[in-house]
Amino acid sequence: MTRTREDIALDLPFHVNGTLSEAERAEVDAWLAEDALLRAEHDALSVIRAEMQAEDARSPGEFGLSRLMRDVGREGSALAAPPTPSRTWMWQLAAAVAVIAFLAQSLFVQRDTGEAGFTLAGATGSADMIVSFAPDATEEQIRLLLIGLDVEIVAGPSAIGLYHLDVLEGSDAEAALAGLSAATEIVESVEYAQN
Amino acid sequence: MSETHHLLIQQIAGGDKQALAALYREFERPVYRFIVSRLNDPHEAADILHEVFMDIWRVASSFEGRSQVRTWIFGIAYRKVIDVHRKRARVYVTDDIPETGDVQDAADAGYAAKQEAEHLKACVGELSDDHRSAISLAFYEDMTCAEIAEIAGVPEGTIKSRLHHAKKLLLHCLSGRIGGRAVA
Repeated sequence: MTRTREDIALDLPFHVNGTLSEAERAEVDAWLAEDALLRAEHDALSVIRAEMQAEDARSPGEFGLSRLMRDVGREGSALAAPPTPSRTWMWQLAAAVAVIAFLAQSLFVQRDTGEAGFTLAGATGSADMIVSFAPDATEEQIRLLLIGLDVEIVAGPSAIGLYHLDVLEGSDAEAALAGLSAATEIVESVEYAQN
Repeated sequence: MSETHHLLIQQIAGGDKQALAALYREFERPVYRFIVSRLNDPHEAADILHEVFMDIWRVASSFEGRSQVRTWIFGIAYRKVIDVHRKRARVYVTDDIPETGDVQDAADAGYAAKQEAEHLKACVGELSDDHRSAISLAFYEDMTCAEIAEIAGVPEGTIKSRLHHAKKLLLHCLSGRIGGRAVA
């Protein structure tokens, strides 16, 4: 025994988790055989480790992976975006956008039907995906899932409980579909809409 | 296994999303457990986990292979949580070891804790982040002292000292929680 009792006490956590070298382990074993207090500490640490190992932390799992793939895809497309137009092009583009906006506004005023300027969920129209939710899925679960995947409800529910979803602009529809498909506790069925 | 991890990192550096997914599937649970053990907030822990893997995606090409991939990933997670704590300007409950009770008493209390997992969780929650990190890596991940030291960026002696203090604090906390059974 070349080390002090204090040295051995500092090594106890690593004796408990099995990461000491063979020689270190043998040295600690020898101390444990003779020192009841060290043994008690060792046993207590063993219990603590066993309890910690038995804990079940519910990780994000496939949800997290879908989110990761979506954001990685975004970064990839941002990197692959075409180079910024030169200043000359920017001016031409800005002028063109201004003309288009003016014409569109004129047409809108002429054809104004008096409808509200927003769309209500429940309205009909095109959508990216159609889903049905599990009967016991809570509003919070559905909300967090949809926010996490960057999708929104644009219509529904239908008489048979189907919702139409749109993927937010710039988001990855494939990743959203994968995320919805993976959320089997919340989503009963999901498919691309036939627009 | 280590070679497989290194290969995955090389593939990620080359823009391979499937390699990133494979790495995520392997490390997501332990890294999340490590993060949540330090933050006590599952939602925030999920966000940090996400940031860790986004960082891996961004900086995989800078991984030089001098450390294990596992140590490298946990190191990223370690620093992310420190940033969170800095932002929160968190005040820890205690780093002082109370004088009441002795190690034998506390060790007895440790036995009783076998049926009292919630007590253990609460006591771990009262540790400082340094202590909690050390004990999480030692007992959740069964890491060597050298690995924990590399992740935390401190000498091995510091890790041993942190674990020693964490152990004393935990045992004292447990002895106090379990009905004063073992407290002098």
